[in-house]
Order: sequence, then structure tokens, then C-alpha cells
Amino acid sequence: MDKIYEIVAAPGTSRFLLLMVVLFPFLAAFFVSLFGRRARRAALFLAFVHLGLTTCLVVIGTMHLNVRGEQSTLRNKDIVKFQPTFIPGDTSGRSGEDGRTGWTLLSLTSSPPSANRAGPYVQFFVGMDGLNLWLVALSSFMLIPAILVSWDSVKERPGGFFGWMFFLQGAAIGAFLSFDVILFYVFFELTLIPAFFLIGKWGQGSARRDAARKFFLYTLAGSLLTLVGVIGVVVTNPDPLTGQITFSLPDLMGNVQHWLKIAHDEALAGKPEKLAALHATQFWLFIAMMAGFMVKVPIWPFHTWLPGAYGEAPIGVTILLAALLAKLGTFGILRFVLPLVPDASLMYGLPVVGSLAAFGIVYAALCAYAQKDMKLMIAYSSVSHLGFLVLGIFAFNAEGLSGSVLHMVNHGLSTGAVFALLAFLLDRYRTTQISQYGGLMGRFPNFALLTFILCLASIGLPGLNNFVSEMLMLAGLFHADMPHSHHYTLSVIAAFSIFLSSWYIMTMLQKVFFSPLKEPHPAEPESATPPADVSRRELFAFGSLAGLCLILGLYPQPVLDSLKTDVSYLSHIGDGARARVKGEAIPPDVVELAPVAPKSTPKKGK
Amino acid sequence: MSDPIDLALVILGLPLLACILAAYLAITKRSAAKYAHVPLILGCATGAVLGIILLLKVAADHDHRFISDPMTWFAAGNLKVSFQIVVDPLSAIMLAMVTFISTWIAIFSSSYMHGDKGYARFFAIMSLFVFSMLGLVLSNNFLLLVAFWEGVGVCSYLLVGYYYEKPSAAAAARKAFLYTRLGDVGFLLGIFLLWKMGGWNMSLTAMFDYMTKIPPDQGELTAACLLLFCGAVGKSAQFPLYVWLPDAMEGPTPVSALIHAATMVTAGVYLLARCAPLFAMSPDAQIVVATVGGITAILAAFIALAQNDLKRVLAYSTVSQLGYMFLALGTGGAISPVFAVTAAMFHLFTHAFFKALLFLSAGSVMHSMGGVIDMRRFGGLRKLMPVTHLTFLCGAAALAGLPLLSGFWSKDLILEALTKAADEGKSYTGGYYILLLVSLVTVFMTAFYTFRAYFLTFWGPERIPEEAGHHAHESPSRMTVPLMVLAVGAVFVGIAVEPFNHKFSHLLEHAPTLLQAQAVSHTDMIPHHFNKWLASIGTALALGGLGLAFVMYRKGTETLPGAIEPVFALSRNKLYVDEVYGAVFVKPGGVLAFLSSAFDGFLDAMTRLISSIPRFVGWWVRPIQNGLVQFYALSMALGLTVLLTFVVFRIAR
Repeated sequence: MDKIYEIVAAPGTSRFLLLMVVLFPFLAAFFVSLFGRRARRAALFLAFVHLGLTTCLVVIGTMHLNVRGEQSTLRNKDIVKFQPTFIPGDTSGRSGEDGRTGWTLLSLTSSPPSANRAGPYVQFFVGMDGLNLWLVALSSFMLIPAILVSWDSVKERPGGFFGWMFFLQGAAIGAFLSFDVILFYVFFELTLIPAFFLIGKWGQGSARRDAARKFFLYTLAGSLLTLVGVIGVVVTNPDPLTGQITFSLPDLMGNVQHWLKIAHDEALAGKPEKLAALHATQFWLFIAMMAGFMVKVPIWPFHTWLPGAYGEAPIGVTILLAALLAKLGTFGILRFVLPLVPDASLMYGLPVVGSLAAFGIVYAALCAYAQKDMKLMIAYSSVSHLGFLVLGIFAFNAEGLSGSVLHMVNHGLSTGAVFALLAFLLDRYRTTQISQYGGLMGRFPNFALLTFILCLASIGLPGLNNFVSEMLMLAGLFHADMPHSHHYTLSVIAAFSIFLSSWYIMTMLQKVFFSPLKEPHPAEPESATPPADVSRRELFAFGSLAGLCLILGLYPQPVLDSLKTDVSYLSHIGDGARARVKGEAIPPDVVELAPVAPKSTPKKGK
Repeated sequence: MSDPIDLALVILGLPLLACILAAYLAITKRSAAKYAHVPLILGCATGAVLGIILLLKVAADHDHRFISDPMTWFAAGNLKVSFQIVVDPLSAIMLAMVTFISTWIAIFSSSYMHGDKGYARFFAIMSLFVFSMLGLVLSNNFLLLVAFWEGVGVCSYLLVGYYYEKPSAAAAARKAFLYTRLGDVGFLLGIFLLWKMGGWNMSLTAMFDYMTKIPPDQGELTAACLLLFCGAVGKSAQFPLYVWLPDAMEGPTPVSALIHAATMVTAGVYLLARCAPLFAMSPDAQIVVATVGGITAILAAFIALAQNDLKRVLAYSTVSQLGYMFLALGTGGAISPVFAVTAAMFHLFTHAFFKALLFLSAGSVMHSMGGVIDMRRFGGLRKLMPVTHLTFLCGAAALAGLPLLSGFWSKDLILEALTKAADEGKSYTGGYYILLLVSLVTVFMTAFYTFRAYFLTFWGPERIPEEAGHHAHESPSRMTVPLMVLAVGAVFVGIAVEPFNHKFSHLLEHAPTLLQAQAVSHTDMIPHHFNKWLASIGTALALGGLGLAFVMYRKGTETLPGAIEPVFALSRNKLYVDEVYGAVFVKPGGVLAFLSSAFDGFLDAMTRLISSIPRFVGWWVRPIQNGLVQFYALSMALGLTVLLTFVVFRIAR
């Protein structure tokens, strides 16, 4: 077994695997679009192939992540960097890893790129670490239910439809895996094109074109500001030795910490001007970078594109929008905002963005309660849940960050799943109006069982996935040791959101599944048989989602273990920022936030 | 098997196994579904036997506590949540009691639910219910406890809404879930506050050890205790969140018996008993607990006076009796916490027997009356249902606290605790004195409404509603045997374990948690004794209530003197609490939701307005694009000049 592990985990294999995970969806998109009527079968097959590739990546990846030195890389280090692995084009060749890629796309300097030196090159720099591995797995997996629920409902040009779905998936995966800030931005924007066509062309309602346009322009406007912010960080944080700018995220975050450390030392010596200037710069960069992510998440009041886009999109696309694209926003905050403008994230994260998010939690929950359509209700509930997630991120400590990474996966699964359930009703009755339904528990018992499990998962019932991440984020908020902040208020609102979500979900369940039977006119009135309970195709789609919710609820620790090191990097940055903002020296034991866990062995090592 | 931890895990695992089996039968819809009750009955019965063995083991051990090795559920940063169970006298008593009561309720249900189309589903959820309750009792980690706590909540939701076609059942299920969840918000906040104060420990025992060694800030501790108490208020149906429990009658009657006696509502009492070391340190929190208990006790007793629905009378009596338990718990700290918790746990223990009995008897009545439970529509069932009549009488007498029955002994202990707290307590003696008076009045009211229900149902001329049809006869033996067993319990369990041999209190005296509470409260242990005066007053009040009920209702019908009609009307309408909540919270919530939704439209319009600005600007500057290349060149040059000037001046400054 050890030998097999060695072969499988050889650098070349895993790099190729990672590259395939990024590129395969684009190839699949092209391939599927060639098919006409039978595109759905091809799409499902290719989605399973991709899931297979991703599963291999996850297996090898977790083994790799778990054997990383626990805290050794962190101890006695002032400057921490993300440490992506499995980088295609790693400059070290076949021998090992040095965390850089040689695949330069665009060079801003005339001198040829040197191997081990950061420079102004835009590179195809993708890699895996604990923060993005599970989101890639989510992206790979969620396409399958999205295809399955679109099976019968997409009749017009299925080749194009499924092709764009793959394109969307590929762009999302690319964004998750990017470690070059410009590359991330490219992938981030690339998601807009398929989403625009999918909503505008295959949408369900009459307002679909308008919704697609609004979605496109709104997110584009936001992300352009993000680009400005990112460029601002790049320009203001050149390499301390060579003075060259860099687009590589690990190097860039290293530079940021370097300049902050210098300013901090001066501030401790009694000259706070430099630190104050850096903080002032960071404030504007923070605002600019957050603009795009706040639209993408979305955070109140930048959410108004969401009900339209989610409501008008075909249900399969809504699943991907809710499960993947919303995560791009939160992931962007985690991956870029926190390490690149740490002090501003600490100073304005919870107080400003957190307050907006907390307000949005309550506001969106109230809106969700008032909706007459289930699809819009879930759309608003997603805004509410993501507000909690943003709070967890800005708690900027190990509990909150671990919780929020896990919650991205969990929320993607459960919200995607609840949207998927609506496809069951849409296929049979073409409506998701709450008032049209009643007493479905007796009519469709199996569907009712699956709906209950997934709805309970989304309201954070223990034993199902969301509970774990919500508790971690709540703990993070309680642990958040913020200067001038009101984190107890935010914790109360976050805890209250757990009640609010059950308030509207239970009300919906009462109306739709309890009470005497009431069903609208079937979609196919001429067919002799009345609509039947879940088919095998649907059972697979819903059942696998419910199963994953249960597994992640009962046994989330492998995921948490694999991202422990990466989270400790971020929380280390957070501790540094905390010390700077408070005007204290960084305490020496600051790195020992996470208790050292018993040494974990590779799962399939023996 | 001999290890107590293994034993407890087996007891915990049996209902889970039963749940999986029954769920399999429910989903596959096999003909074997009619045997879905077998796993639960066997599981609970085995569990009860093992539970008693476990109890003996714990009693014999010199540490009186076993803690299992932790198994990580999830951990990150300072938060570590593990699966860890604790077996001590407190949890062992609950374990034995829950499994024992559940066994008989399960046997009763197998006949009561016979032929129902959701038979297997019913037993699957019921098994899960018992499993969750056992897990809750055993948990030694706060978030694990929350997990089972919520599991109990979901199971009650599913069971209350079991008759899903009934709109009232659906509404009651949602109400039960939401009201308890509202309490859980406070519960969670309290837990995290304690986690922060208690050295980042989530394990109960570790946290208590830490807190008793390093006394926390008094204000924060009181806040945390009160937040924990919020959870108990929701789950154990205390004022102001008690309104869900009477509505929960919409579920099948055995479910009510389970909720009211063994599982669910006792969870809050158990939580406070388990957290006694914390509460004992905070007298301010304790007087709040006692006051809420007192308000609930008398309020619910008052509402129970005039209810016409037999099950509703019993439901309000549960709320009222739970109030008693919180009264007792609330004295811990002012007097010896060991004594206070023993009183509460003893009442919980005896109450489980007679309340399960009363509900099952009511279920038996309902079964034979064809689903009718309104006491105005039947009466004089004494002859028709002799077994049910006698068992109900046993339960009623125990609930009323008639001398020598189990309810008498446990209520006596609670009154004793209150007397001590009012007499020689360390704090708030005046408050406890008022609460003592309140509880004495409640004794009278309890006896009155219990026997009112009894007389209305079983005395006077025989009246049977037409829904009953040919069902109107004594229930089959599978229903009457559990009634008889529980009746024996209701009569004798009190006298058997406490007043003469003090077995119950000896067991709890050694519970490490309670000893810890005792140590931090700096109070004296209270020796076993029997307060003749108090017992006499209690007896007199109970007999008075019984007598008044006899005078007013022995004919089996309700004719009220004009003077008290308004009072009864107030009681019958539940003091309009539901209406008040509807007007103050539910309606405004809906309105607020509507307003938010409307505002969202406005917000959307605003963004559209902003997005139209570029278009407007474009319309405005369109004439500039006149196609003259010279003009473009000129404007470019001008712009560049302005920019360069700006830059030069900026740098040269």
C-alpha cells in the first residue's frame, strides 16, 4: 500500500491531476455542446468523470495536508504565506516542490523570468491547499444534482445549456485554485459569462433578460473595483529586497506582512506615522476589494440582483449560483482580503461589514418569511445564512475561520440541495407558489422525508452539516477579541439567525407538507398517471445530497483537520493585526492558538 | 459489559437500533411494518433492566461517577466538542426512569396506534425520541447535549404533527418547535459565554472544575446562568414560553405521555440539576429561576381550573408541576443545593409515573370514546371502564398530593426546601417566603382541578358521544396492563424510595456534581427529617381542593355559580396569553416581514436609479462625439495637460 501511495502521490501525478481538475470542465463544455438532444447523458457522464478526478485529488490531497508539520512551519516565524501544493509547472521540476510555477502568461518586465524570484509576471499559478480543496470538491460534486434536476426540464438546445454549466463550473474551480491575483480575477469574471447566458437564455420567467443583465452589470461593477483594490495592494507592496511588484498571492501576502512589521516596529519605538499611513491606505484598499465580494456574496444592501437572478434562472443554474458563485465572494474575502489588508479587515471587518451582514441576516430572514414563492424564499434565506458566514470570517480567529471554510461547503450543499428539491415540484406542477400546495407528506412520503432532512440541515440541526460550522463560527464570534467592536451584539444576532431560519422554514413546511392535500394542476394534464413520488434519478440527486449532509454533520473532523494549518496561517495574521491595532507587541506565544492535535496518519496509508 | 460506561452505551444504543429497524420498515412499506413496535419495546425493556443494574453499580461505586474517554466530534482552535458520556447518580436515575416509563408507553402505544397507516413511522420517531433523551441525559459536553436537546425537539415536532392532515396538529407542531427553539437561542449564547469564562472548556465536568476553582465574575456568571435557563424555559415549558405544551396535545396521546413524563419537558429540569454547581454560585440567577417556577406553577394551575379538554387539564398540570420543580431548583444556593436538587429530581421522578399514568388513562378514555376528549361530551364512565377509572384515580390522587401517595412525598420535599429557604436561607428570604405561599395556594388548586376532571369524566350519569360507536368499552389488556403497572408506581414509588429509607436522597447525596455545588454554596447539609406541620398544611389544602371539587362536580356536570363564572371564563380562555402573544409578537413579525419585503422592492428601484446614471451621462455627453478628429485631438491634449499640471504640482509641492 505504501508503494501505491508513493506512486499516486508523486509530484507529477498530483500536478497533472490538479491541472485536469481545472481544465477538464472547459474541455467538457466544448465536447458537450457538440451533442444535440443527447447532451444530458454526455454531460452526466463527464460530470462523473470529473467527480472521479476530484475524488482522487481529495484523497491524495487530504493525505498530503494531514502529514504536513502541524505547527512547525509557523513557529518563530513572523511572516506566513499560503503554501499551495500540486502546482502545475512547479519550478523545482520533478524533484520536489518549491511552491512556485514557471508558467508565465504575461510578463511586465523585459528581463526573462528568473526561477526562484518573485517578479511582475502574471502566471498560471494554480495549486491546492486546505482552504480550497473542499470547495473544489463541492464544485465538482454539485454539478451532478444540477444536471440531474435539469434532465427533463431543459428541452431547448440542451447541448448549449450543459456546455455553459461546465464552463461555469470550470471558472469557479479555477477561481478557487488560483494563487495569482490576476488569474483569480480572470476566473472570477469568467463565471459571469456562462451565468449571463444561462439565466438570460434558459431562464424560466418573463423577466429573465432583465435579471441576467442586472446580475451581470452589478457584479461586473463590483469586481472592477475589486480589481482596482487588488492592483492597489500589488503596487503599494513591492518586494522589500528587489523592489519589484508581484502578482503571486503567497509572495504578496509576505510583502504586506513585511511592510506592516517594519511600520509596527517603528510604532512600538514611538513613531506611529508609518503605521497610521499604512492603515489609511489599507482602509481604501479594503473598501475597494470588498466592493466586488460584497456584491458577490451578497451582503445587504448589495443583494438586490440576487432574488431576480435566482428566481429567473433555471433551477439547475440556481443550484450552481447558490452553491458555487456565492462562495466565490466569501472565499475571496478569506483568500485575498484578510491576508492582503489584515489591519483594515480587523478594524472595519466586524464593525462595518459585520454590522451590514448582521442587519442583512435579520432583514433577509424577514424577507424570506414574506415570500410567497419557495424559490425566492430560499434565495433570501441564502442571503441570511451568508451573513452569518461573513461574520465568521471577520471574527479572524481559528474557530471562526475554520467554521466559515466548513460552512462554505456546508451551505453550498444544503442550499443547493433545497433548491434541487424545488425541481421535483417544478417538474410535476411547474410552480413553486407556497399557497398552491398542501399536505404533500401523504402524497409524496419519500420526497417529504428527503425534504425534511435537507430543510433540517439548512436550519442547523445537530447531526447534520450546518450545525457544526455554525457552532464554530459562533465560537469564533465569542472568542473574537476585537478592539472597539461590539461582537457580543453580533453574536446575539448570529445566534438569533438560527431561530429565524427555523421560523420561515417551518412555516413553509407546515403549509406545503402538512394540512389537507392540495396540489396544483399537473404539468402534463393529458398523461394518465398522476405525478409520482421521487424517481430513481431524483432519489440519487437528493439522496446523495442528504447523505453528504449527514456525513459532514456526524464526522466533520477530517475536513477540519486538513485545513487546520492553513487556518492557523490566517489566524496568525489576524493576531498580528490585532496586536498592531491595539498598539501592542505581538505576544510570543501567539502562534499557539490551535492546540496540537494527536498526530494523524494518512487514511489509506496501510 | 460490566463496565458502567459500556452498559450506558448499550442502553443508549438500543433505541437507536430500534429506530433504524422501524425506519427501515416504514420506508420499505413491508407487511412486517405491523411489528414495528417490537424493537422499541424490547429495546426499552432491556434498557430499563440494564438501567437498574447501572443504578446499583453507580450506587455501589465509591466515586459515584464514570466518565468515558472523549471522542472528537469536531474541534478547531479552542473549541473542542467530543462525544463523551458521564454516568453518575443523576444520569443513572434518569436513564432507568426514562427507559422504564418508555417501555410501558411503548406497550400501550402498540395497541393504541394499532392499524394506523403510519404505524412504523410512529415507532421510528418514538425510538429516536427516547434515544435523544437518553443521549441528552448522558452527555458530558455542552454542544453534544445541545445536539440531543435539538434531537428531542425535532422528534417532538414530528410526533406532535403526526396527524399531518390536521391543520391544528400542523400548527401545534410548528409552535412547539419554534417556542423551544427561541429558548435555545439563549441556551447557545449561555453555553458560549460559559465556554469563554470557563477556560475554553466545553466538557461539563471540566468546566465546573475550572469554575469552582477560579470563581468567575459574578455578573457574567449570572448572565450565563440565566441564558442557560432560557433553554430550560423553552424546553420545560415555563412562563413565558409554556404556550406550546398544551397545544402539543394534537399528537397521539401516548406521545403526550412521553413528552410530559419521560422525555422532553424534564430535560430543562435535568439541565439545571446537572449545572447545579454554576447556579449555586449565583443567587441572583436562582431567585429568577424560583420566581419563574412560581409564576408558572400558579398561572398554569389557574388555567387548568376551567379547561374542558381532559388532556389540556393534564397538560397545564404538567406545566404547573414543572414550575414546582424549578421552584425547588431555585432554592439551591440559598439552602443546600443537594437538598434542592434532590427535591426537584424526586418530584420529577414521581411525576413521571403519575403523569404518564394520567395521560395513558386519558388516552384509554379517548380511545373508547372514539377520539372525543371534551369532558362536556362524556361522563360517568366509572362502570364502563373500571380499570381506567381506578388507575386514573390513583394518578389523580398522586398528582393532588394526597397523603402517602408518591406525589405527596415529593411535593412535601419541595415545600420543605422553600420553607428552609424562606426561613434560614442565605439570600432573598422574603422572596422565597412569597413563593412558599404561592406554592401552597397551588397545592389547593391542583387538587381541585385534578378532581374536577376526575369527577366530570367518571362520575354522574353515563354519557357517551356518538363518535364512540361500538368502541365504548374498556380498553384491551395491552393498554390496561401498562396502566396498572404505572398505577402501582404512582401509589408506591414515592413511599418505597424516600420517606423511610432515604434511598433516593442518599444516592444523590453522593453525586459529585451536587457535592461540588454544595462546596461552592457554603451551606449546611440538611438532615433527613419529616416536617409534620408542613405535611399537615399540605394535606389539608389538598383535601380541601378535593372536597370543593366533590361538592361542585360529583354529579358529573359543570354548573357554575354566577359569581365565579367570570373567573372561570378567564381561566377557560387561558388568560388570553395566546391572543396577547399573537398581537404583540406574531402579527408584528408578519407585518415586519411584509415591510422588509416591500422595502426590498424600493432598494431594488434605488439601484436601478443609480445604474441609470451612466446612461443619462451618456445621453448628455453624446454630442461630444461629433466625429471631428481634430476635436478629439484637442480634447486629448487638453486633458493630458490638465493631468500633467496636476501631477507636476503635486510632486513639486
